Amino acid sequence: MSVATRVASSAGSLWQRAHQGRRGWIGAGCATALILLSLLFVPLDGRARADWLQFLGRFHPLLVHLPIGLIVLLPVLETWGLRRPSLREAAGLVLQLALATCLVAILFGLLLAYGGGESGSTVTRHLRGGILLAIELLFCMAVRRTWLQTRHWRAYFTLLAALLLTLVWTAHQGGSLTHGSGYLTHYLPPALKRYVAPSAVSSHPNSFFAKHIYSVLDTKCVSCHGTNKEQGGLRLDSYESLMTGGKDGIVIAPYNPDGGLLLRKVTLPPSDPHFMPAEGRTPLTPDEIARIRAWVLAGASPDAASVPGLFIAGDGEEAPPPVGDYSALMGEIQQMQRLQGAKLIPVSTKPADGLILRTTDVAVTFDDSQLAKFQRFAPFIVEAELGRTAVTDDSIATLAQFKNLRALHLEGTAVTGRTLGKLSSLSQLSYLNLSATKVTKEDLTPLKSMPKLRHLYLFNTSAEPAAADNGIRSTQ
Amino acid sequence: MKQHPLCSDCEDKISPMDLPIPSGMKKEWAACESRRQFLGRTGKVLGWAALASLLGEASLHYRAFASDPNLQTGSGINNLALPHFAPKAKRAIYLFMSGAPPQVDLFDYKPNLVAQFNNDMPASVRGNQQLTGMTAGQARFPIAPAHWPFSQHGQTGTWISDLLPYTARMADDLTFIKSTNTDAINHEPAIMLMNTGSMNSGKPCLGAWLAYGLGNMNDNLPTFVVLQTKTNPKENNQPVSSRLWSSGFLSSEFSGIGLRSVGDPVLYLQDPAGVDRDTRRKMLDAVEEINRQTLAEVGDPETNSRIAQYEMAFRMQSSVPELTDLSNEPESTWDLYGPEAKSPGTFAYNCLLARRMAERGVRFTQIYKRGWDVHDNVVGNLPVLCQETDRGSYALVTDLRRRGLLDDTLVIWAGEFGRTVYSQGGLSQENYGRDHHPRCFTVWMAGAGVRPGVTYGETDEYSYNVVKDPVHVRDFNATILHCLGIDHNKFTYKFQGLDQKLTSPVPAFVVQGIVT
Repeated sequence: MSVATRVASSAGSLWQRAHQGRRGWIGAGCATALILLSLLFVPLDGRARADWLQFLGRFHPLLVHLPIGLIVLLPVLETWGLRRPSLREAAGLVLQLALATCLVAILFGLLLAYGGGESGSTVTRHLRGGILLAIELLFCMAVRRTWLQTRHWRAYFTLLAALLLTLVWTAHQGGSLTHGSGYLTHYLPPALKRYVAPSAVSSHPNSFFAKHIYSVLDTKCVSCHGTNKEQGGLRLDSYESLMTGGKDGIVIAPYNPDGGLLLRKVTLPPSDPHFMPAEGRTPLTPDEIARIRAWVLAGASPDAASVPGLFIAGDGEEAPPPVGDYSALMGEIQQMQRLQGAKLIPVSTKPADGLILRTTDVAVTFDDSQLAKFQRFAPFIVEAELGRTAVTDDSIATLAQFKNLRALHLEGTAVTGRTLGKLSSLSQLSYLNLSATKVTKEDLTPLKSMPKLRHLYLFNTSAEPAAADNGIRSTQ
Repeated sequence: MKQHPLCSDCEDKISPMDLPIPSGMKKEWAACESRRQFLGRTGKVLGWAALASLLGEASLHYRAFASDPNLQTGSGINNLALPHFAPKAKRAIYLFMSGAPPQVDLFDYKPNLVAQFNNDMPASVRGNQQLTGMTAGQARFPIAPAHWPFSQHGQTGTWISDLLPYTARMADDLTFIKSTNTDAINHEPAIMLMNTGSMNSGKPCLGAWLAYGLGNMNDNLPTFVVLQTKTNPKENNQPVSSRLWSSGFLSSEFSGIGLRSVGDPVLYLQDPAGVDRDTRRKMLDAVEEINRQTLAEVGDPETNSRIAQYEMAFRMQSSVPELTDLSNEPESTWDLYGPEAKSPGTFAYNCLLARRMAERGVRFTQIYKRGWDVHDNVVGNLPVLCQETDRGSYALVTDLRRRGLLDDTLVIWAGEFGRTVYSQGGLSQENYGRDHHPRCFTVWMAGAGVRPGVTYGETDEYSYNVVKDPVHVRDFNATILHCLGIDHNKFTYKFQGLDQKLTSPVPAFVVQGIVT
């Protein structure tokens, strides 16, 4: 370390003499760049050193925001300075400050990485990014003098653009170190996620592990036990490595929650030196621990879709899309009630929840022609209670227009099932009751393609599955 | 203005109705007169009446609002703005085990107690709790472990007593709360608290709140039906009274309508010989006309309820015979519910009726089964009680499921409190008794809105105190309302200067761990 101090002080004295001339500038710049480059060879051996190095190092995440702010400010001032020259004068100072704080941040970051025993590709990339930033800042300083004199802006602004890109990349590496690599994309809408974060989680993307265990590991564990870092020789970024365990032994013992290290360590008192996640990272919530425990207790399967007795909010079906606002039609809706006897009932006070078509009071007389009159409200109807009404196969075509239909009751009607295929266009339908109708097994084939159909009731039909004692529900 | 027939004072005073004031004010005055009649009859002090009309105006106003048939809920966007959010359950069936089933013998499995047979329960467990007069004087509190073995059932491995072989079959479909607790240690206050959220009478019960808030789904059947199970004289039957299904301060049309357990489900269901439907209709129209006149004169909102109830009774004359006609039930029904279900008044029969009512759009059905108050002879009585209720409960849930009704029906099984782990009276290997125990009891729910297979809450090793996730009766009721799309804190009714709600003014919380 004393060598480093001496080198740094000699570079400092070079800077003191730099204002004397162009050669002084080049000398000081090159010396600093050399020192910076030499930092690449500091051995990051993964050995933690709990001393003042690490104490200071932990100020890195704080200090690092100074150069970030200043570097972002720089192009703003320069661009704006094209119109208001006074701002350009400030830019010079900001540039110098950015360099100084950048160097300090690198120093503290190095202390953190060295003292905290960090290793792995992300740490290295983050360090390289920091050093590259500092060197780019040096270049900026050099080029800026020419720019001010010659107004030759292209080189300088290209450099600034490169500076910003480097900043974003480096900051992202740093963020991945603290928050885990999936932090940014975790809540990305699924449609976009496919492109950004290819999920190589497991071969069973809908398994309980993939959906509810891996996400915990990814956010809370993988930043230290993954591709970036492999502390304790342990990786938790795939099912296979999770089950393999690390240097200290197995972390998950199927059927035996207390047999593996993982659940033992996350449930230690936080003050315990073996408590995980270590180093003040966010601990697992009781809910997450309970989830892992239940999964282990049920055998820690990689492909089981659910764990008995355990439910997770928002799991399963994603919420159906909201229907349009029918408030404007309220007058007509009430008039329909008076004329037809069948009612359109709001599901809740929120119009987006849709309407229920209720025929209970007029079931006997409610037929195909009456249903057709409700076609006007089709986009708003999410549930059609047509059980024991007089509707026939002809109504199926009408119902196929009810695009937002989620539940359809046709029990005890004359529907035969010949036209059921038309329903397959109802992409939101999750409940279909065909009990006590004449449907046959063959009629149901077209329904297999319906993506959301979860509950199909066939009680008292020839298609009724051979009854298990209590279950007639057939779930796709 | 004509003098109200019951009012004897202010015979020669000027009536406000004759004054040149806006008709709205006259209406208000008329609406206040029911209070005035009362005071007029008791004190005959006009000053008091005036004061009462000033103070009582607000409450009477709301009362009139609730009873106005034009503001009936259930059709179109209603004035109550309910449900607050898309409900999971449209209707509920509440199997009420009056008398309090012993959780230690049925659901709350405590294998460690076997070794402690006849040991004294540590005083620290009981703490400073005040016991009932029935056991407070006991010299010792000997531990009575469950007399029957427990087994694990379903994929969830839920422990259930062998006394409930049918309930055990649906272990994976049920949501158990083992940490339910209540404030009351005696039947009447506890059963009132469970049903109305208050130990004092005068508050509307859960069913009445639902009828008021969500309205009917079938114009021809009551919104809220109460079914009594025939009592078994060998059991210790605590009385249940209409207070439990009363509408309290809500209009009386929201109170539960009881179907009789013996004979005709509704008395005088058939028109008398020689009276046809048209004659009956004409008579009712005339009665309604008279009632409307009375309403205009007296302004008592209960007149509205009376009109509504006459109409409901008329429609029930045709809908109830259809409801209770079981001749078209397929053979599979009897296979499921058992032959008992054919005899009216049994628990299984009531369960079958409840399913039929669910199909026909009855919003809330409550089945009372009395006799669970096993202070002594648990070994003799409990198997009978279980045998009477086990298959019916199972059949109901299963039948609802296979017909596709469990997706929007919530089934609830609960008593008013639990029973003690220590024996009341003598304890022997052959028999024991159990006293009332408010600190923990087990209830279950099934169907729409709750997570199947979940066991929520834990009790200590004596099944005496809750050690994890306590669920107060208020929380339990808040959770039921939640399943039906109601935020219990927003569902209020102004009465006696308070925004009254089912969960009382004490804070209550939806049990998030069990709702979907």
